[in-house]
Amino acid sequence: MRRQHLLAATCISLSVLAAPAGLMAQTAPTTVRVGLDVDAGTLDPRLARDTSAYRVTDLIYDGLVRLAPDLKPMPNLAKSWENPDPLTWIFTLRDGIVFHDGSPMTADDVVFTYQTILKPEMNAPLRALFTPIAKIEAVDAKTVKFTLSAPYSPLLSYLEMGIVPKKAVEGGADIGLKPIGTGPMKLSRWDRGSRIVLTASPQYWAGAPKTQELQLVVIGDNTARAQAFEAKDLDVIQSPLSPQDIKRLQGNAAFGNAVTTGLGITYLNFNTGDPAVSDPRMRRALAQLVDQKSIVDDLYRGVDQVAGSILLPSSWAYSATIRQPAFNPAEAGKALDALGWKDTNGDGIRDKDGKKLTVTISTHSEDPNRVQTLEFMQSVFQQAGVEAQLRISDWPSFSTGYVQKSQHQVALLGWLNIVDPDRLMYSQFSTNGPLNWGKYSNPELDALLDTGRKSLDLDARKTAYQKAAAIIANDLPYYVVSYQGYQVFYAKSLGTLEVNPRGYLRNVLGMAAR
Amino acid sequence: MLTYTIRRLALFVPMAAGMVIVTFSLLLLVPGDPAAVLLGQEASPEDIARLRMALGLDDPWFARLGRYFAALLQGDMGRSIFQNQPVAGVIGERLGATVELALAALMVAIVLGFVLGIAAAMWQASWVDTACMLLAQLGVSMPVYWLGILLMLAFAVQLGWLPSIGRGEPLLAAAGMALAGNPGPLLKSLSHLVLPALALGVNSAAIISRLVRTSMIEVLGEDFVRTAYAKGLRRPRVIVRHALRNALLPVISVIGLRFGALLGGAVLTESIFGWPGLGQLTIAAISQRDIPLIQGIVLTYAMMFAVVNLLVDLSYALIDPRVRLG
Repeated sequence: MRRQHLLAATCISLSVLAAPAGLMAQTAPTTVRVGLDVDAGTLDPRLARDTSAYRVTDLIYDGLVRLAPDLKPMPNLAKSWENPDPLTWIFTLRDGIVFHDGSPMTADDVVFTYQTILKPEMNAPLRALFTPIAKIEAVDAKTVKFTLSAPYSPLLSYLEMGIVPKKAVEGGADIGLKPIGTGPMKLSRWDRGSRIVLTASPQYWAGAPKTQELQLVVIGDNTARAQAFEAKDLDVIQSPLSPQDIKRLQGNAAFGNAVTTGLGITYLNFNTGDPAVSDPRMRRALAQLVDQKSIVDDLYRGVDQVAGSILLPSSWAYSATIRQPAFNPAEAGKALDALGWKDTNGDGIRDKDGKKLTVTISTHSEDPNRVQTLEFMQSVFQQAGVEAQLRISDWPSFSTGYVQKSQHQVALLGWLNIVDPDRLMYSQFSTNGPLNWGKYSNPELDALLDTGRKSLDLDARKTAYQKAAAIIANDLPYYVVSYQGYQVFYAKSLGTLEVNPRGYLRNVLGMAAR
Repeated sequence: MLTYTIRRLALFVPMAAGMVIVTFSLLLLVPGDPAAVLLGQEASPEDIARLRMALGLDDPWFARLGRYFAALLQGDMGRSIFQNQPVAGVIGERLGATVELALAALMVAIVLGFVLGIAAAMWQASWVDTACMLLAQLGVSMPVYWLGILLMLAFAVQLGWLPSIGRGEPLLAAAGMALAGNPGPLLKSLSHLVLPALALGVNSAAIISRLVRTSMIEVLGEDFVRTAYAKGLRRPRVIVRHALRNALLPVISVIGLRFGALLGGAVLTESIFGWPGLGQLTIAAISQRDIPLIQGIVLTYAMMFAVVNLLVDLSYALIDPRVRLG
């Protein structure tokens, strides 16, 4: 490691000596080492399902579009697109794009990428996002036409999916292990479970990155990863980080630090089909017992933000005027009284008809912050006379064995990658929606979500989603506890890093942040 | 001895079958659906149902178990659901790193354990004894996880003497390069190995040292030791050639058992030091309910443990001529 530092320092010194004064500020280190919390499961973008796979494939592949900081889709491999009608999307590809193996990228590769994602036997995790695509065809080498079964405006945001080379994949190349993309970096070495080494692709269409080599080192333990950073064995570490490490690292002037709001939420999923929380007045009362500020300030150390509604502040659909109920134990107490839940026997727990007021709140054990949030909520609930029973288990037991079977009362979990409001609302709240685990049903909301999905007019969509968010903030099938924050620490030798809300790493390479 | 070895090796088969059945039953009882985990939160119930069928998860348990055994008999451990690669290959990639770490930790445990144990026994009831046993007490009480973080903090963050994370070239390959006149990779590999091996080995060292002390004190009081001194033999020779050899037997069997504990402890150590072994793979496989991979890993651990215990039993015969195997 030290030798690499020396080498890097020597290269930098030489380039600084050789460069005119005006270029000096642009000099980037030749090697950058970034800590990862898990190894990537695959480097095939169609099958990526963990954050590491997303982050690494973002460097190796390019999609038709890229998302601007306000999440609006911008041209990428596609230089332009048009909608002759709401069911047709026609994309024109950029000229002169080549894959890392030297083969040219054409419309056939785009068609192949999306056709394979849609094949059920491919088991692509994001397949559901693309199912409204009825047909995809190459009009010519540079033009791709998507035909939809119904109008589906969020599609554009999802077309940042990396394009894979048809010829190589059909020829038997395992791009999950040996990826071939059109992105700024290509894979040079992958020691499974240990590290991924990427090198700059000189033929990258937007100009080769300044950083020649990116090493992504896997260290599962948060504290150990922070210590490796302090020992200068890593140049960049990012969320997830432990609160005590964040505090220590922030006190060290040698490190740069940045926080941004991510594209995820942490929320309470109320099972509206369960009699305990089927009454919206009960859900409101319980929501008023959630001390969001203490949770984000004390448990998340200010990295996450108090959420006001289901719309993300970074989204074009956001409105600050839509607010869910805020923490107010006095109001909650009155509401519970009004519902007939009073402590008649003096045991500190409210009761009605001889039955104690009990709710089960659940989460998964992998995220210590969520476990702490639940424990904290339990104590506040208890003070308000609500007996909260905790149910904490590992992720598969909690998600697939419990919440997804609608066996929960109140569950604390999250959604990530909310690049379009549709992704967080349509399948989650539509009556009988596939992700509607809380069994919520509201015809008015169904109609609004339908409008949001089908309209191609951004203003019309915005209005629909704001109305929908207001209904959700009032009815509370979800209570959004926080907007997930995203934090990065970096060696100051890298200059000043802009943070990417998804932890994508193009900015680390000295490229424009995405 | 050969007959004994063959008989013991033959016993591996029912033992492995038992392990497979126990693991399989446990996985049946644990909630969580690999198909749903694989497809993620956003998958539709139809997609999950179709994948369950494709993976054969809806078949009756006896059919699944039968199929697994049939494949196993042909040397096929199945495919990892998540990595979509043969389980044997996935495990093979990581096995070397874990064995290297566990053996290095075992070396640490044996060397430290014997030095402390013998010193404590030789100077029984003196300050040396107290100091050694105090260290042993510390070693037994400190969790692998905590010690790992402390070592990293001291030697990597504060002093900067050793790398905090990762693994160099595999030790055998690095040793080969060193023999060919290039010692650089070997030194690098060793520098990466020191901290994780220490973190993992200290607990076992402490246990071994206590046992060596007790065993040595017992043997040092025996008549044959007094006779050896009476013959005019010098103290080091009496300790090493006469006393230690007799004190070894109970220690050896514990060393075999400790190897199992080291394999278990490696799960945490690997996660702290970014060591690319089976430990991290095990955690991932369990949290993803990657059933074939979990089965394969458990089977691999069980076989390693069985082999080490066979070696321990065989070593009895070498150390103690009174022991006859057959």
